[in-house]
Order: sequence, then structure tokens, then C-alpha cells
Amino acid sequence: MADQSIAGAAGTMAKASDGDRSGRARIVILLLCLGLALAVLLSLTSGASDASAISVVHGWLFGAAPGNEALDARDRLIVYDIRLPRVILGVLIGASLAVSGAVMQGLFRNPLADPGLIGVSAGSSLGAVAVIVLGATVLAPFTSALGTLALPLAAFCGGLATTLVLYQVATRHGQTSVATMLLAGIALAALAMALTGILIFMADDRQLRDLTFWQLGSLAGATWQKIGSVGPIIVLALAAMPFLARGLNALALGEATAGHLGIPVQRLKYTAIVGVSAAVGASVAVSGGIGFVGIVVPHLLRLAIGPDNRYLLPASALLGACLLLLADAVARTIVAPAELPIGIVTAIAGAPFFLWILLRKRGVVDL
Amino acid sequence: MIEARDVSVAIGGKRIVANVDFDMRPGEVAAIVGPNGSGKTTFLKALSGDLAYSGEVIINGRDLSTLKPVEAATVRAVLPQATTLSFPFTVREIVRLGLVGGRSGVLPGEDERLPERALARVDLDGFAGRFYQELSGGEQQRVQLARVLCQVWAPVLDGKPRYLFLDEPVSSLDIKHQLIIMGIARDFARRGGGVVAILHDLNLTAMYADRIFVMHRGRLAANGSPQDVLSDDLIEKVFDCRLKVGALPPGNMPFVLPQSAA
Repeated sequence: MADQSIAGAAGTMAKASDGDRSGRARIVILLLCLGLALAVLLSLTSGASDASAISVVHGWLFGAAPGNEALDARDRLIVYDIRLPRVILGVLIGASLAVSGAVMQGLFRNPLADPGLIGVSAGSSLGAVAVIVLGATVLAPFTSALGTLALPLAAFCGGLATTLVLYQVATRHGQTSVATMLLAGIALAALAMALTGILIFMADDRQLRDLTFWQLGSLAGATWQKIGSVGPIIVLALAAMPFLARGLNALALGEATAGHLGIPVQRLKYTAIVGVSAAVGASVAVSGGIGFVGIVVPHLLRLAIGPDNRYLLPASALLGACLLLLADAVARTIVAPAELPIGIVTAIAGAPFFLWILLRKRGVVDL
Repeated sequence: MIEARDVSVAIGGKRIVANVDFDMRPGEVAAIVGPNGSGKTTFLKALSGDLAYSGEVIINGRDLSTLKPVEAATVRAVLPQATTLSFPFTVREIVRLGLVGGRSGVLPGEDERLPERALARVDLDGFAGRFYQELSGGEQQRVQLARVLCQVWAPVLDGKPRYLFLDEPVSSLDIKHQLIIMGIARDFARRGGGVVAILHDLNLTAMYADRIFVMHRGRLAANGSPQDVLSDDLIEKVFDCRLKVGALPPGNMPFVLPQSAA
């Protein structure tokens, strides 16, 4: 009898939280915070040089070890001016790409939407390349007026234009056709790349070198100045995203139903599109095309904590930042002292993962 | 009170609904019946504010076109025909979405328990932890109804009636659950709310509806009590098939017996 009542009580307790994954989501977010701290530490201490962040922190706290001042000064330079901006940039861009992916997937009601796959990054690239190649001539008034903001702003406009066209083409009566979305994305990306090609054709040798490395995607050029120009944009866009979470959850039921539930759907859609374009545009402007972060990160997290955007968006930011730092660590060390563009690392890891998602979904969800 | 005057809807230049007048009082279950393609769903979408319409729709004395989404969400909840999801939400997560914008009308703090209670009402006790995408069509439909119930849990809020708009709420359900769901609609009306439901089963309609609106080719062919509306002539003409209408004591509730296609 006593056993039965205990079992009964346990049963009701389990029932009260059935299907509620918010507790698990909070734990995962906490773990990701720890993971990010570790990834930051790892990135600060590893690299082609043996400069150690720990000795820098040690020197900073307790003064330089006697007889070691010169070495310490060198280490400090490497850590402060090379690794630290790179780590901060990696965190910002990883978070921005992953959250942008999650928001786009919510907006298009489809787990396969990704800024890189559907041409948004290509549109941003076009904007950025236009500034790099034409900045001194045709676009001179634009670049001189905006200074360091010209590049991210142009990338933002390119991304925004692509997303708006894509949304108009792929959505009819509040339903987004995924086939249309992916195909339209391919068409738009091809168009953007062709226009980019024309610009590259016009570029001189120095611009070409800049462009090639930038297009492959890299955090190598990270400087405090770059962080100053794109950091605020990314931080602002990321800060706006949590306000979209509830609306995006409702949007999972379809646009009409989200409206019935009291969500201002038009405003939600446009905020999401502008926010994603800003975040992706700013990221592309400094680091080129880094693919697959936006699709892999939210997908993994949905498996762990479910699709509730109130948790998915912050968790995506954290995991995106972690993964990009790790990918960058690989990119920096695997062919040291040279370094691999990080876009290659994320593509090699991400593309097979994308295929795996497709295989798993085949026959289960109507793509 | 819902009053619709001279409502017409055109989609892509084609007129789907033409000059429909519709009104209902709180406390009523109003059924909309009619053959496929007669404009029932389109009319309900206009009433829900999903589609542009000409004419006038007044809900509780306010023009529908002036209501903000969150205000509309407070006076009415809408159950669509079917809802598919692309993400693996659990049943509880779906039902809780009913609380996202409007006001359920229960005391603050009790909202957390509503999903459980709503699921129990639609006979889905113990389904909270299941994945929506793995349920059958009929179960999914009942989960959506539980979500809709959460949104307007109290049929009357601040002294004003609230409404359930149900598009074919029982079309994928077995007979037991058809009766349970229609019972929920009846109960919602009894407690002071109003229900507008698109139905195909004329016998179920006769059993549960106070008023029947018959639509035919985008227009209103008849409207009135089941006894008034369910006649051999009208039903045969509208549905284009041979039917016999009888009456069952004690209340002379009409029943419809199909004969054969015309």
C-alpha cells in the first residue's frame, strides 16, 4: 500500500513536468556558458606562437618575472593585439551566425533555412565586395562618408535585399514553400556571385589578394578597429532577437495561427529579416563566408532542448561562439605556422552534417 | 455578439464569398454547413481577420478591422482545419502556445496548470510529453483544440463574451471524440461564450447547433434553427443528392438519412 502511494506520487510528479523541457534547457545553457569560457581560454593560450595567456595574466597580476621583461612584452602584444580581438570576433560572429540561422529557420518554418544556403551571405558578400573594389572610385562618396562602417553597411544592404526578395518569392498565403525557398536561394546566390564575379574581374592585384582570402572566410584579420565597427551592429541585432522568441514559437503553427494568438506577425517578420540581415551582413563584412554554423548549431540544440526559441536562441549564441572558436583553433594550428581559412574548416565539418539531416528527415517530414 | 453585414471575399480576382449576412449571440452554437467549395472556410477566415473582405464585421460592438492582433486574440480563438509542424514540439509546448498573446481569463499563476486541464478536456490525459508530429491526425486536432481552449479558457472576460471559431473540429475524429468535442462547444456556449463551427455531419449539426447557416456557391442559402433549415428540399438542392429528413421525439430533432447521389 505504502509502495503504491509512493509510486502514485512519483507518477503525478513526473506527469506535472511531462513535455516541459525548460529545466533541461536551463541546464544546457549553463553548461554552454562554461564551455564558452573554456573555449575562450583555449583560444587565448593556443596558437602558432608559444605566447601564453596565463603568463600574461600572471605578469599583469604579479608583475613581470625578473629577467623576463622582453618576453613578457612580446607575449602581451600577441595576446592583447592578436589573440584577444580574434577571440572576441570569433565569439561575436559564431553567435551571430548561429542565432541568425535559428531565427531564419523559425521565420521560414523550416529547419533547413540558413543564411549561407539560401543566398543571404552571397548577397552580403556582393555588398562587401562592391565596397572593397569600388570604394575608391564609384562608391567613394559612400565610403568616405561612412568610414569603417561602409563595409558592414553595404554587406547589410546586400543581405537585406536578398532576404526580402527571397521571402516574397517563397511565401504565398502565409505558407513558405521550402522547395521554392531553396531554389530561389540558389538563383539569388548565383546572381549575387555572378555580380561579385564582375567586380572581382574589375579588381586590381592588391584588391584581389584581399578578396580571395576574405571570401574563403577567416578571422585572421581581426583587429580592435574591426570589432569597433561591426561589434555594435552584431550586439544590437543579437540583443533584439530574444524579443522575437515567443513570436517565432507561435509562428511554428503558421502565420495565420500566430496572428490568431495575438502576435503582430508582419512586424515580427520584418524585425526578424532586418535583424538577421544586420547580423549576417556584419559578420560577412569582417570574416567572409563562414558556412554551416547557422544550420548545424540550432539543429543540434533542438535535439537536446527542443525548438522553444526562448531557450534555443540564447543556447545557439553560446554554442555558435564555442564551435567557431574551436574551428578557428583548428584552422590556426592544423597547418601551423600557416593557417587554413576557417570557412574551409566549418564546411568540411558542416556539409556532411547537413547531408545527415537530410537523410534523417527523408520520408519523415515533407521537405 | 457577432454581426457580419454584406461580407464578400475575393481571392485572386475570383469571388469566393458573396454578400453574406451573419449574426450570432453569446450562448449560441452556430454551425456553418455547405458542400465543398461553398466558401465556408473563406468566410470563417474573413471573420477571423485573416483575409481582406468588403462589408462589415462587428464583434462585441467593435469593428473587426480596427482590432489589434492582441485584442482580437482576447475575444476569439481559432481552430484551423489542420496544423502541421516542422519542429519537434511536445504536446505541452503546443498547448502552452495558447497562452502566448491573449488572456486565458483564469487567476494569475493558474495559467501554468491550464495545458494539463485543457488536455484532460479533450481526452488527451497523459499526452503532454508526447511529440506532436508523432500523433495521429485526430489526436493532433484535439491537441490544437486544447491550445485554442487555453486561449479563451473563460468564456466570458470582463463581462464580455468570447468566441470559438472552429473549422471542421470533428472531421478527423472517431464518433466518441466527435461527441466529446461538440460537448465542449456546447458547454462553452452554455457558460456565456459563443461558438462558430464549420461542420459536415448534418446529424451532429442538428444535435448540437442552435442555428445553422447554409452556404451554397459563396452565398447564404438559408439560416435558422435546425428544424427550420433541415428540410428535404433545401438540403437536396444545396448538397445535390437525395436525402430524407426525419424527426426524432421528444424534441423533434431532425435527422438526415442519405439515399443516393442525384
